[in-house]
Amino acid sequence: MTISAHNLWLIPLLPLLASASCSVIRRRGRSLAATFAILAMAGSFILSCIALRTALLSPASHLTSNFTWFGVGDYAVRLGWLLDPLTAFMCVMVTLVSLLIFIFSIGYMKDDPNFKQFYCFLSLFAAAMLGIVVANSLLLLFIAWELVGLSSYLLIGFWFHKPAAAAAAKKAFITTRIGDLGFFMGILWLNNATGSLLFYDGGRGVLEPGSLAGLAAQTTVGGLAVSTAIGLLVFCGAIGKSGQFPLHVWLPDAMEGPTPVSALIHAATMVAAGVFLIARVYPLMTADLGLAGAPVHALTVVAFIGAITALMGACIAVGQNDIKRVLAFSTVSQLGYMMIALGVGSWVAAIFHLLTHAFFKALLFLGAGSVIHAAHHEQDMRSLGGLGRRMRVTFGTFAIGMMALSGVPFVFSGYWSKESILHAAHEWDVSSLPFLMGLSAVVLTAFYMTRLVAEVFFGKARSASAEHAHENSGVMTVPLVILAVCAVGLGFLGTPAWPWLQSQLTGSTMPAHSLLEGGGLTVLSIVLVSVGIGTGWALYARHPRQTEDVQDPLERAAPGAFGFLAARMRFDELYLATFGRANGYIAALADWLDRRVVGKIVELAGRMSQSAGRFNREADEEGLNTGFNAASDELRLAGKLYSQAQTGETHGYLRVLAIGFVVLAIASMLGGSR
Amino acid sequence: MSPDYAGLFLALRPEGALVLGALTVLALDLSVFRRHSGDLRMALAAMLGGIAVIGAGVLTWMGPHGSVFGGSLMFDRLAITTRLGVLALVLVSLGIASASRAPRNAAEFVAVILFASCGFTLMAAAQQLLLGFLAIELASLSLYVLAGFEKTRPTSAEAGMKYFLFGGMAAAFLLFGFSLLYGLTGSIDLPEIASRLPADPRNPLLVVAFVMVLVAFGFKVAAAPFHLWAPDVYEGAPTASVSVVASASKLAGFAFFTRLLWVGMPTAAGSVAALPVSAGWLPALAAISLFSMLVGNFGALAQQNIRRLLAYSAIAHSGALMLGVMAAGEFGSAPVFYYAATYGLAASGAFGVIAVVERTGPCQKISDLAGLHRRSPLLAGCLGIFILSLAGIPPLAGFFGKFYVFATALRLGGLAGPAGWLVVLAIALSALALYYYLVVLKQALVADPDPEAGPIKVPILAAIALVTAAGLVVLFGVAPSLLLNLP
Repeated sequence: MTISAHNLWLIPLLPLLASASCSVIRRRGRSLAATFAILAMAGSFILSCIALRTALLSPASHLTSNFTWFGVGDYAVRLGWLLDPLTAFMCVMVTLVSLLIFIFSIGYMKDDPNFKQFYCFLSLFAAAMLGIVVANSLLLLFIAWELVGLSSYLLIGFWFHKPAAAAAAKKAFITTRIGDLGFFMGILWLNNATGSLLFYDGGRGVLEPGSLAGLAAQTTVGGLAVSTAIGLLVFCGAIGKSGQFPLHVWLPDAMEGPTPVSALIHAATMVAAGVFLIARVYPLMTADLGLAGAPVHALTVVAFIGAITALMGACIAVGQNDIKRVLAFSTVSQLGYMMIALGVGSWVAAIFHLLTHAFFKALLFLGAGSVIHAAHHEQDMRSLGGLGRRMRVTFGTFAIGMMALSGVPFVFSGYWSKESILHAAHEWDVSSLPFLMGLSAVVLTAFYMTRLVAEVFFGKARSASAEHAHENSGVMTVPLVILAVCAVGLGFLGTPAWPWLQSQLTGSTMPAHSLLEGGGLTVLSIVLVSVGIGTGWALYARHPRQTEDVQDPLERAAPGAFGFLAARMRFDELYLATFGRANGYIAALADWLDRRVVGKIVELAGRMSQSAGRFNREADEEGLNTGFNAASDELRLAGKLYSQAQTGETHGYLRVLAIGFVVLAIASMLGGSR
Repeated sequence: MSPDYAGLFLALRPEGALVLGALTVLALDLSVFRRHSGDLRMALAAMLGGIAVIGAGVLTWMGPHGSVFGGSLMFDRLAITTRLGVLALVLVSLGIASASRAPRNAAEFVAVILFASCGFTLMAAAQQLLLGFLAIELASLSLYVLAGFEKTRPTSAEAGMKYFLFGGMAAAFLLFGFSLLYGLTGSIDLPEIASRLPADPRNPLLVVAFVMVLVAFGFKVAAAPFHLWAPDVYEGAPTASVSVVASASKLAGFAFFTRLLWVGMPTAAGSVAALPVSAGWLPALAAISLFSMLVGNFGALAQQNIRRLLAYSAIAHSGALMLGVMAAGEFGSAPVFYYAATYGLAASGAFGVIAVVERTGPCQKISDLAGLHRRSPLLAGCLGIFILSLAGIPPLAGFFGKFYVFATALRLGGLAGPAGWLVVLAIALSALALYYYLVVLKQALVADPDPEAGPIKVPILAAIALVTAAGLVVLFGVAPSLLLNLP
């Protein structure tokens, strides 16, 4: 069974229809809404599996189906669908994770009055995300890109009655919009330079050698190749959406949304869209690599931004006390890893990590959601504790997720994907800095995840809500188990010994290596993970926290540094003090100009026209109006005089008719005789 | 020439439908509907008549193209669009008739309207003097009857009488002109006449002939100085009859005389493009146009009577339409058709509103419309659209009609010659006309109603007719090409 690229639009269509029907269902139609959404998602999942099968028949080819949206003069705006292994793997991942999270949400959201609205938004999100994935046109991708931004806004602010949630939704929308501005400029520039926005179009697409050679050959300001400049602008969009430094500030705040939303959108799928975008336009990003004299390559920027983000996110995660915030900064950090992989030239490693991360991070968020749900929305880890005994399934699956994220070797998927990134970074010949930063982040990741597990699940319950927590129903635990299985199993698709995923993504067979290839590095990273987990264990698990208000061991040791991390390195304060204040000054200046200068000018103009009007009125009433009135009276008089001639007497009428004839005839003859 | 009766029958199926419809209405009214009340009989007769008109329209649409019966009839674009336009206008008038105070013999009223339409459709296609004259007379005689239909009401009887006397005179002129043309050329077929006409347009017989034709033209479309019947007939005749006289009759008249002048006497046209004007009927037409615009607009200014005001407005519009006829030879008759058809819609619509208002009391003075927006918002809204269209306010159809006619007339010779001056005058007078149109609207839309005047109930058929007419006025104004590219 195969699906042609022509019918690929069915995959996003199903959730879109579900969203539409959910929007018209009555508010009480809770189970109906959930049924629609889940059935649509399941249908999309099946279609995605078929698409994957189709794509893997010939992994190296890009199956496309393009059509003209509308034409303006000679220029036609064309859109299309694209089916290749990258699309297919993403589709399967997005639909499967969405499906599981949709099911989990039945339990998590069961007390919410806006239940059906939630499924409406979630389905809209899924449709838009799948739209990004199957698009064969940068314009179509951008449309879907903005739609996921919208649904993210709606879902972060789902509990809009909470001021923090409303503010977070606004922050997310505005911050990502800054990146999207750059993205949009890149799209316009690309369209201007190549006349097309289709990725693959039988040799004329922007990702095909013909266009790329032209883009790389031209240079623009500062000696940058046009392809570099466009690539960097497009990367701006990825920075915003994927929470990269310096636009990462919105992502932790986005955790104000319901936890399934955090799991689906702000961990597994949408935030990975930036990584997907760069992987999709990878030929454009690499077009400048062959240029010797280029001041900077686009991918170099990507690698450094990724490295900074990876390390920074891991550092901040250490200082957080809210379960979801720890996970949020962990997401920021992991996305940084993916960017490192893209930057150092291994987009396959980036996608591998994207796929494994999607499953284990969704698992971790849903596990956190399970804890939060059980503990009556208590999400400060200092107030929890001792949940390991009460919630065994959640604890077990969460531990699997934690080990996958930390990179515990050989069994867990996170190990393999992170390892392939570190290998690629090690082999990068431009700089070793990203590699070193990535290694440091490995220690920190293992450390903060151990801290999180120890604080939440070990020791004794430190609050009433934690004491009364008990395991959730099957609708919430079954998705956790499935995700846990994926978090373990997925890694074996891309081990060095059997690099199946890598081969399928690139369409060329990758050579198999021994599992311990590059032995020194493997040993080093295993040691680093052990150090991280060991330190965490020593500090938090051996002597679990006794009460809520005991100081954190790290805080005792270095209060300044811990406070700095707990305040998220004060990025928000920094932005407030710089951009916020500058904006305030500009606004004040504009206000002053408006009131004092423009206002005065308007007032003056108003006065002048008032006087002119007064003069005009005098002139009008005295001069013109009298004249006009007189003329009007004349006209009316003429009319009256005329209508007096209309006597109503038929003889007179007939006489006029005859006279008219005679006059006309004589006039015509006279006119003729001249 | 062997007469092609089969072709003739096919081509005249619409007329057949109209006559059959008229006879059916009469027969049913005498037998089946006999016991019903007057109002119901009126509505039923109007509905039957409407079906016949729609049938005629469909048959026209499917009918033949080109010349029929040895060239006596010409089914070209102008003919077919005019036939369709005339039928549509008659349909609106029938809707209005169903709303008027029921005359004693409702079915006869409808039947006579159908006979008149038969005359109009024949006028639209006639390309032969005899057929044309018969068509005009069929139409005119029916209209005389319609004008005097309420024979117990003195004003109606007087209107019918005046119309008849005046029309009889005009018909005599027309027949005399036609016989002169026959005498000059020995033919009654228009293309034939054109080829045999004396080369010199100053030929006295020819001048007398075309001036006589112009007199009849002036009478038919109420152009000065042959317009004198119009105010009295508009004032006295039953409202539905006036609606037919003002709309369908005018459109058919313009179509017939445009064809007669440009197909039958193109060599005698002369020129008004530049001074000095050359001999021919164009300068005479220009004089009629000038006179009509002046008389119509100034006459309307002083009117207190809404019907007389509309009569003078009709005269003024005829003057403007003459400009289109002058340009039709060179630039086609589409602007004339568009203007006349949309004018007909707006005028018959305005009379329709008057007819409905009349159900509750007299509607003669402009002040009888006072507070219409309170008494019936629907009527007030429709009247607003019709009057603004008559005044030529965009985006209503009246504006584009004027625009096309003036634009084509300006192409005759720019602003240099009499045609250009007439256009300038026409534009200036349009501004003047706004005054008397707004006087009407002020009463209908702003003034307070007479405290004793109650709300007006609009009968359903009339409401449909009025709303459709108003909708078409807006639609053709927004998308004029719909009407301009009709078949």
